[in-house]
Amino acid sequence: MLDKSFECKNEKTIIVQNVWFAYREQEYVLKDICVSIDDRPTAIVGQNGAGKTTFVKLLKALLRPTKGDIWIFSQNTKETTAAKLSKTVGLVFQNPSDQIFKSKVIDEVMFGPLNVFNEKHEAYENSIKALEMVGLRGKEEEHPYDLTLSERKLLCLASIIAMDPQVIILDEPTIAQDRYSTKIIAQIIKELVKAGKFVITITHDMDFVLENFSRTIVFTNGKIIADGETENVLNEENILRIAHLELPWLVKLSKDIGIPYEKLKELK
Amino acid sequence: MDNVKIRIENLSYAYPLSKKNVLNSISFSISGGESVGIIGRNGAGKSTLCLAITGIIPSFFGGKRVGKVLLDGDDVLDIPKKELVKKVGLVLQNPFSQISGAKTTVFEEVAFGLENLGIERDEMVERIEMVLKRFNLWEKRDQNPFELSGGQLQRLAIASTIALEPEILILDEPTSQLDPQGTTEVFEALSELRKLGITIIVVEHKFEKLVEYVDKIVFLHEGNLLGYGTPEEIFSMKEIEEHNVGEPIFTTLCKNMNVKDATGKYPVRYKDALQLLKGAFWKSC
Amino acid sequence: MKSISLYVEKDTVIHKLEPVTKLWYAFTSVLITFMFPSIWMGILFLSISLLLSIVARVFKNMIGFVSAVFVISLTMLIIQGMFYKDNVTLVFDFGTIKFYKEGLIHAVLLIVRVLNMIMSFGLLILTTRPSDMVTNFVQKGLSPRIGYILSSVLQIIPQMLSTASTIIDAQRSRGLETEGSFIQKMHAFFALIGPLVLSSLVEARERAIAIEMRGFGIAKQPTHVVLIPETTLDRGLKFLFKVAFLIALTWRVFSWIM
Repeated sequence: MLDKSFECKNEKTIIVQNVWFAYREQEYVLKDICVSIDDRPTAIVGQNGAGKTTFVKLLKALLRPTKGDIWIFSQNTKETTAAKLSKTVGLVFQNPSDQIFKSKVIDEVMFGPLNVFNEKHEAYENSIKALEMVGLRGKEEEHPYDLTLSERKLLCLASIIAMDPQVIILDEPTIAQDRYSTKIIAQIIKELVKAGKFVITITHDMDFVLENFSRTIVFTNGKIIADGETENVLNEENILRIAHLELPWLVKLSKDIGIPYEKLKELK
Repeated sequence: MDNVKIRIENLSYAYPLSKKNVLNSISFSISGGESVGIIGRNGAGKSTLCLAITGIIPSFFGGKRVGKVLLDGDDVLDIPKKELVKKVGLVLQNPFSQISGAKTTVFEEVAFGLENLGIERDEMVERIEMVLKRFNLWEKRDQNPFELSGGQLQRLAIASTIALEPEILILDEPTSQLDPQGTTEVFEALSELRKLGITIIVVEHKFEKLVEYVDKIVFLHEGNLLGYGTPEEIFSMKEIEEHNVGEPIFTTLCKNMNVKDATGKYPVRYKDALQLLKGAFWKSC
Repeated sequence: MKSISLYVEKDTVIHKLEPVTKLWYAFTSVLITFMFPSIWMGILFLSISLLLSIVARVFKNMIGFVSAVFVISLTMLIIQGMFYKDNVTLVFDFGTIKFYKEGLIHAVLLIVRVLNMIMSFGLLILTTRPSDMVTNFVQKGLSPRIGYILSSVLQIIPQMLSTASTIIDAQRSRGLETEGSFIQKMHAFFALIGPLVLSSLVEARERAIAIEMRGFGIAKQPTHVVLIPETTLDRGLKFLFKVAFLIALTWRVFSWIM
């Protein structure tokens, strides 16, 4: 189940062409990955160790492919650095404590923009807009560690949004979040997509994927075993079983009741 | 005969240097062998409550604790540490920060707590073997704990705690950092624990799974106890929607379709919801 | 690397000895070679250590240790050979560069003593699991708390290194340049240290709670699941070392008095 329509060096897509990656000699963690990412919100799913994080690091030029190439809107990742690419691709890491080091929320959010924008006031304005978007406006002067864990995760999200990249990658955005924060993140994702951003996420929350991402790519053992419309991919029980994933609850429910998923969807 | 294992009486607590109470006059009790879930928004006081039941709050954190936390009738602060450790076990969110870090094999890691208590070697070896087999870690006994996956580490944390043979086990968001497989492994471990008759308290956001494993739920909001009852009772409360706490997905469907069970509450367990929804759908055809 | 350790896993007589026995060997050989200004004494113990490392099948690793001090030894030979204060007897020269007997002997003595120290302690480290060493010391009276700190440091440090690498990735993703001018590098340093220290503290706090709940610090004398037996061979050897040390001490004191 592979969506293989792409062309090289397209300004409007991210092209991953025959990419292989090994951390250690000959031990390939990613094998012959071919995929093109467009503006559909895309979820990357799979077991821990399947290669999702590695893949995303390659997109961000934190790693270089051992074989093959990745083009981010005609820019080959081998010819740039992660720092330079941060104008275009933003990656929100899973753990806020791997990133936060300033003592004020506003300083933390502005760290990235100051590296990316030429004018300080541009950085400031974008930071305020980002804080507004995640619902942290008004907390600029607070210490990041005085915020709750959910708020800190939103802070990290804001710090990347403030850099105004075209592509935003979210690594496990809903981990350790309560239902309410998950809803907020879903809203933010919708707004980003409306603004024309490419939103890509790694997640284990199948229901979150079903609700917010129109495209799903399934990784297993370093290969892509499924790639297409979310509703189709997450309906394939054998693929999910191979990838050690579970059916989203609503899909499971619709199958057990014996009605098509669309009917249940309306009622949510 | 009073089977109350844990009794919380008017428990209030504020962290040191903080004026705001994180817990406000909480009172409820849990019987021996029961499994109780704790739900609420982030910041509701769930973790604080867990730590208060173990005595870590206030002994580790300082601050002022008002009210009582009684385990088998004795306040947790009056129980000597040696007895307390054998009575209550604690499993936290982050799998990595629960291994001692001082041991290089899984086998020795489980021994850590037993060694600290001065248990005789022969008994130690027996308990470790039993507990590793029970939680499917026996094949990994010679591996370095840092090489295990998140799910395996959480199972190791549970195993290490169970080796001390506690009567009460508290788990604070044990699956929040795990993938679906790891989550399943931990919930399966919880079933094992129920069979052993251990009193379980678990904080969880994965409501769909939680309701399958608990008898009652404690509903906290901003430090207050808003409800304590069966999962059906709790998730039918209007405060659940008012405060945006969330609920099992199929419960939302039932609410939207106004499908209730015989007692007039919305179903929360998968099988119950499935049955009622099937009836509702096929009736309207 | 999961934990910092030079231990080489093999199944030999030396490996099975009690760590304290091996420690006694190291102390005895180092103290004796330092007591006697005799190159032959040093070479004697060096040969014993080398022989033992062959028995323990860690000879290759031992050579590795030795080669680590090779450059320093050479430097010492040259410098002492040329400039030692009691240099009198010329041995050979390369034109203006002159090497003297006294300096060379002094250097050789120094080198032999240092090598012996490295090899005898090296034998201990190569043939003993760090956690077994700590367990043994705790059995002999070392505070269990200190024992825990020693054992955990060896594993926690590699963990911190891997966290550090994640942090650097996160900051690079936000536009932080890690190459470039000194100012840029300082900037990078602070962006790394802040989260590293904070997250290590948070994790340390959680771990402290976890081990507290597992009874850490309750028993003054904890029991041990790993058996570190003291065999007759151990007792015999320790006796031998103590006797050798006493004899050497007495001999040295006498010859000093005479």
